[in-house]
Amino acid sequence: MIRNIITSLAVLGLLLAAGVAQQTAPQQVASQQANPLTAVLPLTTKSPEARRLVQEALDLYLDRVEQEQAIDILRKAVQVDPDFAMGHEYLAQISLDSAEQVSEQEKAFAARSHASASEQMVIEWYQDAADHKLISAITKMNDVLNQYPHDKWVVWMTTWWLQNQAQYERVIAVYEKSGITDSPGLINNIGYNYAYLRQFDKAFAMMDKYVALLPNDSNPQDSYAEILRLAGRFNQSIEHYRASLVINPEFYSSQFGIADTYSLMGDQARARKEYEIGFQKFSLPELQQVLWKTREAATYVREGDNDGAEHAFQTIADYAHSRHNSQAEADTYRQMAICEQNPKQALVFLGQAEAATQEGKNALRIAISQELAQILRARVEVALKMGNKEMANSNLARLSDMSETANDKLIEVAYHGATGAVLFSERKYDQAISHLEEDTNNPFSLKLLAAAYQKIGYSAGAKRTNDTLTNLNDPTLEQALIVPAFRKCSEGASCGGNAKSASLKK
Amino acid sequence: MTNRRLALVLLLSVVILPCAVQAKQLAIVTDKATSASNLTASELVKIFTAHSRTWPDGKAITVVMKDPSSADMQLVLRKLLNMTPEQAHAFVLAHRDAIMVADSDDAVLRFVSTSPGAIGVVDLYSLTQDVNVLKIDGKLPVEQGYLLRGN
Repeated sequence: MIRNIITSLAVLGLLLAAGVAQQTAPQQVASQQANPLTAVLPLTTKSPEARRLVQEALDLYLDRVEQEQAIDILRKAVQVDPDFAMGHEYLAQISLDSAEQVSEQEKAFAARSHASASEQMVIEWYQDAADHKLISAITKMNDVLNQYPHDKWVVWMTTWWLQNQAQYERVIAVYEKSGITDSPGLINNIGYNYAYLRQFDKAFAMMDKYVALLPNDSNPQDSYAEILRLAGRFNQSIEHYRASLVINPEFYSSQFGIADTYSLMGDQARARKEYEIGFQKFSLPELQQVLWKTREAATYVREGDNDGAEHAFQTIADYAHSRHNSQAEADTYRQMAICEQNPKQALVFLGQAEAATQEGKNALRIAISQELAQILRARVEVALKMGNKEMANSNLARLSDMSETANDKLIEVAYHGATGAVLFSERKYDQAISHLEEDTNNPFSLKLLAAAYQKIGYSAGAKRTNDTLTNLNDPTLEQALIVPAFRKCSEGASCGGNAKSASLKK
Repeated sequence: MTNRRLALVLLLSVVILPCAVQAKQLAIVTDKATSASNLTASELVKIFTAHSRTWPDGKAITVVMKDPSSADMQLVLRKLLNMTPEQAHAFVLAHRDAIMVADSDDAVLRFVSTSPGAIGVVDLYSLTQDVNVLKIDGKLPVEQGYLLRGN
């Protein structure tokens, strides 16, 4: 498992070399910058205790998979020294609470004058990223990296940020250049990056190292299992999930990993049995409960059991409603809509989804806005299915307005996906491609993108995209709706030519 | 991706699948002393095809790019120059006085930042403060509709 799927950025970390003074003087910074082979990013605080706490927290977070404990310790560190700019920055990056992420970033930025020039550069890099000043953020990131290319915490910051920007090749390049080989946390993350590039031999080699470094921890086995699943090696994946549970029977994500894997293998009855074991055995946080109940509902979709799927999703929507969780309720109705064959009924579900967003209970405003963007996107797709261009364009216009004002990546991506679908339906393939290329994490858009490439004669792009789609092994509803059918299409004779060049890799 | 210590997934099912076909974004860079901040696509084509050899102030232009068969350059060839990699190779060989090939973004950046009049192409995520980023048709790499963005 890779840590923290909520925060878009992750752990920051700094370790002082032995003997660095409590308050880093400018001369010391200059001398550290002079030798990038040994330089470490300074950590400026007036409190040795605060520094010690931060070092402890970062070690727990990165190499010992103890995120919640690390967060608690960071909170203590910034209480000890409220002017500890990098302490606030670390907390901003690893916090699991979005409100805390925002407030701690603000505190880091406000306190940056207490930090060294290099630390200020780090804080400004993250601030620029938060402000959507991407070019400036990239420039600052590279400047910090060029000063400290072998500092574990700088390498960690950089690789994690780049990974969140989907720059997997660059992540690997930074890691390889660093020469760091003994950090379990980095090894875990680099393994995932190789997997995302479908360089599975290298990913497995990383996982072997990760397991060897932490043989008594479940997380390496869980990560190994997930990467094997991404590679389509389902039986081995289940073996590693089970190994994880032997090490720690409370490691519930591995139990649900087993269930997800059976679902991808096509054994939906077994998948549901494994989900139920998980639900009975573990007391889950509410949204995790909803998440895996949703995966369980998707098993009916994979079986083509529409009634079973609708019943399962409706149960989740009712549960979310009873818990006053508007976003979960809205998202469940949206998923019901994208599964629904009858466009009129799909619009009814989307109406219920939108009504839930309007209630907006127990949800952050940005989360509700993101959900609404997904709903509008679904409305556009339903309208296209109905051949109702007016409806498609009116919803697209709403989504466009949101995209221009929200300054949010997920909302922008939803806009691009919807716009690409509209342009594709109008056979404006070149224009469609430029939007669909912004939404290549979505199987619906990937499918259209592959077809659009084929239409314009860009065969290499079509083949690459087809291969990506064909080999997508992720247990989501969108995968369930698109990928199995796409694979059949690529193997059979009943589909258009563009899918047939795809090859299933096992 | 899961984690026993993960907190709650706020946006439950918006697909966040890692994907190896993420759109690339390339930046056109010049040395800091070059005053140009924007080029039209047609001006850029003229520079990269060696039809324009000097900046408005008279400084000679040197183009530096990665190997035409690299993934980044294929995007440039497709979106800007309408050439195959083979045609581009031949073109570079025929214009060695005005076009240089570097083996990495770092090498492109090093050359551009130290060579007055140089212009190069690098991945957006390689940018450093040592170079200027040019707009194409009034747009920076991160803006919607930017030309050198795609697969």
